[in-house]
Amino acid sequence: MSQTDDMVTFIQEHCLWQFHSRAWDRESNINGILPMAFQILTGETPKQETPDERCYFANANRLAAEMKDDLPWLEGLRKEELADVIDRVKDKIEDIAVKHSLNGELNQPGY
Amino acid sequence: MPCSVIKKERSGIINPMYTCQPAGAQFAGIGVKDCIPLVHGGQGCCMFVRLLFAQHFKENFDIASSSLHEEAAVFGGVKRLEAGVDSLVKRYPGVRVIPIITTCSTETIGDDIEGSIRKLQKMLARDFPGRVVHLVPMHTPSYTGSQVTGYNIAVEAMVKTIAKKGEPNGKLNVFTGWVNPGDVTEIKHYLSEMGIDATVLLDIESFDAPIMPSKDSFAYGSTTVEDIEGTANAAASIALNRYEGYSAAQYLQKTFDVPATLSPTPIGIRNTDIMLQQIRKLTGKDIPESLLRERGVALDALADLAHMFFAGKKVAIYGHPDLVIGLAEFCREVELKPVLLLLGDDNGGYVKDPRILNLQKTVDYDMEIVCNADLWELETRIKEKKIDLDLIMGHSKGRFIAIDAGIPMVRVGFPTFDRAGCYRNPVVGYKGALQLGETIANTLFAQMEFKKDREWILNTW
Amino acid sequence: MPMKLLECDTLIPERERHIYIKEAGEDTTQFLPVSDSATIPGTLSERGCAFCGAKLVIGGVLKDTIQMIHGPVGCAYDTWHTKRYPSDADNFQLKYVWSTNVKEKNVVFGAEKLLKKSIFEAFDAMPNIKRMIIYTTCSTALIGDDPKAVARAVMDERPEVDIFVVECPGFAGVSQSKGHHVLNMAWIHEKVGQVEPEITSPYTINFIGDYNIQGDSFILHQYWEKLGIQVLSHFTGNATYDECRGMHRAQLNVVNCARSAGYIANELHKAYGIPRLDIDSWGFSYMSTGLRKIGDFFGIQDKVEALIAEEEAKWKPQIDWYKERLKGKKMAIWTGGPRLWHWTKAVEDDMGMEVVAMSSKFGHQEDFEKVIARGNEGAIYIDDGNELEFFEVLTMVHPDVIFTGPRVGELVKKLHIPYVNGHAYHNGPYMGYEGFVNMARDIYNAINSPLWALAGQNIQEGELL
Repeated sequence: MSQTDDMVTFIQEHCLWQFHSRAWDRESNINGILPMAFQILTGETPKQETPDERCYFANANRLAAEMKDDLPWLEGLRKEELADVIDRVKDKIEDIAVKHSLNGELNQPGY
Repeated sequence: MPCSVIKKERSGIINPMYTCQPAGAQFAGIGVKDCIPLVHGGQGCCMFVRLLFAQHFKENFDIASSSLHEEAAVFGGVKRLEAGVDSLVKRYPGVRVIPIITTCSTETIGDDIEGSIRKLQKMLARDFPGRVVHLVPMHTPSYTGSQVTGYNIAVEAMVKTIAKKGEPNGKLNVFTGWVNPGDVTEIKHYLSEMGIDATVLLDIESFDAPIMPSKDSFAYGSTTVEDIEGTANAAASIALNRYEGYSAAQYLQKTFDVPATLSPTPIGIRNTDIMLQQIRKLTGKDIPESLLRERGVALDALADLAHMFFAGKKVAIYGHPDLVIGLAEFCREVELKPVLLLLGDDNGGYVKDPRILNLQKTVDYDMEIVCNADLWELETRIKEKKIDLDLIMGHSKGRFIAIDAGIPMVRVGFPTFDRAGCYRNPVVGYKGALQLGETIANTLFAQMEFKKDREWILNTW
Repeated sequence: MPMKLLECDTLIPERERHIYIKEAGEDTTQFLPVSDSATIPGTLSERGCAFCGAKLVIGGVLKDTIQMIHGPVGCAYDTWHTKRYPSDADNFQLKYVWSTNVKEKNVVFGAEKLLKKSIFEAFDAMPNIKRMIIYTTCSTALIGDDPKAVARAVMDERPEVDIFVVECPGFAGVSQSKGHHVLNMAWIHEKVGQVEPEITSPYTINFIGDYNIQGDSFILHQYWEKLGIQVLSHFTGNATYDECRGMHRAQLNVVNCARSAGYIANELHKAYGIPRLDIDSWGFSYMSTGLRKIGDFFGIQDKVEALIAEEEAKWKPQIDWYKERLKGKKMAIWTGGPRLWHWTKAVEDDMGMEVVAMSSKFGHQEDFEKVIARGNEGAIYIDDGNELEFFEVLTMVHPDVIFTGPRVGELVKKLHIPYVNGHAYHNGPYMGYEGFVNMARDIYNAINSPLWALAGQNIQEGELL
């Protein structure tokens, strides 16, 4: 399995934030959490000013820690390589959870 | 008069004693073999009742729903009804009877059940040639009556739809009323001992389904289509409960000249005596010595308990009307003192019930009979110390009243989910009187030990 | 593999869109069961009604509130003595149910007068109780009663009481789910914000989507206490009516049951900016994950690690003992919907078990996205499973234990398969660390009961001695 697929499978199996109720919620979570996970994995501390950001951080920090435990190949990656993987993972997760999801409720206007 | 009959004054209910009509109809339906009732209404009307039966019997019963959804409120629900019958007939090749049980929603929207049934019969003849499926309309909206009347309507509807004139079969129709499998066992035992060929409606002994090595066991009713057809040709009918099943017997009398007898609910020695003598009269069969001995065994056991432990003990009884009246009469036989009887719906017939009139005439201490009662009527009387009870007899939904007040409670009636095996024990007949007496005694004994109240008395009695 | 048409469904082939068997390399952009759609009549579906979802699941859990069911008696009777959610208020919510006892004349002439009278009677009968939820049912919705107007009139006359009205007739929607939705939306639009909670901690949450089944909320409460987190509102396990009116002041919404209460979490985010953090409060490993996320949110990681260490020291040896003995055992989960995705990976990770078949009564496609993402290949995923489908599935997979309700449990008992109550547990609570050990124990005792071997023995054949 490619590294992208490995990480996508990991996120699918472990995370609930990609499956919030509507497309826009899923988008905010994916776009909020995955970049933070990248930062954490590369030793940076993400900005956590707003409540939403603190929540993304909570999810991202856990994701980074668990992926470090379960995806040994993460260790050997350079920053640019990791950035690439995360980019592709983000696209794939967006594809599964939003763009091509068969969930008919995702674009209903209200909750 | 010390025995007064009153009605609950409040309009609303706090802690209901019965559920609504469709539950009674479903209970009748599952007593029939190869029968899957179809509840025409919201899914809850079916699912809640299936749960209720599972709580009581620890068994699953197959009941289907027409799954009424919102568009039916505007356009009517008959399409859902027709689709429901279609699904059942298609997927259950063995189904021979489908009661169509209406609910408040479908009665309010005014679905034409009989019209649908005619249409469905044409569909069945066309699409399933050779199959005979009896579609039995049961009009049981929840805003009338209760589970008691629902059961009564259902049994009558079953007989109305399926009973068929043919050659006389010499049988005795026995309409048991809403009883437990243990009661049916006891009744069938009497019929067998007396050598009587009977049709028991409804034969629910098989509700107590076993685990078999073949894995093909399930809970089901044993009254067949042929049994119901044959009720029209019986020699006589006897109904054991005035409010549950008697209407069917009356229908058979009116329509097929099958004479109908109403027995006093056979709870207690005297009531069982009368029932057996009525059966003797209807069939010409003698009461055998074996039953005399069973009667004697019960009397013998009860005589050990009555004046020593039961005399003067005050009892509250709630549940189905025939059950409550029968239990009250049994209690008086063994010197227990029923002081409060609660009947749970607004049936105007209770005040005219000859057994209640008799209680009013003969009870010489304070007894209250509350009609249209809910369980708050019991709870407040206890909490406000208007009543001082030694025992409560009723179904499991009153359990917190007994638990919180520390009053011993014997579970009887329906449902009895918080004790093991109640449905397997009779309350009717001599064995029923025996079991009731001993269960009451053991319940009182446990209380004595728990409260350390003269528990030392139990060593020699 | 495309969607699966079972043999018992050949004559109702639309069921194929609801059943999926996962294969390697597939994801939910290719296959996702249709869910939350109209029930096929007469199939012996497991679904209940919208009123059930509103009253029995959510509203009825509140420990200080009169549950006034506006309709004929059955809806009240049927939702009483059927749940195991205790409280620290002497279990008031388990002991009572109220009905306006609508009769035929009310259906003809309207029942608002009856409702008003019943409301006064209820409050007068219990002078210490000042809160009420009124539920409409099939008949009172059809006759066009306006219970909100009645409630307003009562509140005008008695300013010390507060009444919430939920319009949830049984025929609304397609299952319990509609009732969840209606109650959630009405509560946030009408009641949240009316009470200002007293804040006693720098860390405040609402815990959303847990109903204190057998004391689940009590277990979680221990954790919040140890962490110094104030739960403004537990929605609705062991909760009061008024605490749920103060949800707007929390800093974080922690959500367990996203199906029944994701709605209010979403609305709270929209209206008050409170972020929604989804966790699984069932699952040994999941509990640690969830607590760590909360710790990160509040910056109290040290406290969280101390709590986790304490809990693991106490309970990990026990869950591991069960894991050793349950490894490789198979499970089926036939419940409402969310427990499918809460449990499928948790029982694998923490107990070594494999979930081979799952059926959801009222889950939406979102629930299937979650469970298929977390679940195994070869497992059977069913939306709105019915009885014949259950039997057929059991010829395809062979679970050692089935998590389902007591009635279905009594059905599969005849097939010599033990069940554990997936809705109300056998010997719970099942949440948190201790809870998952309880769950493992129940599974272990179920599977290892000597009764199953005895059940399989045909004494008409062979010789025992």
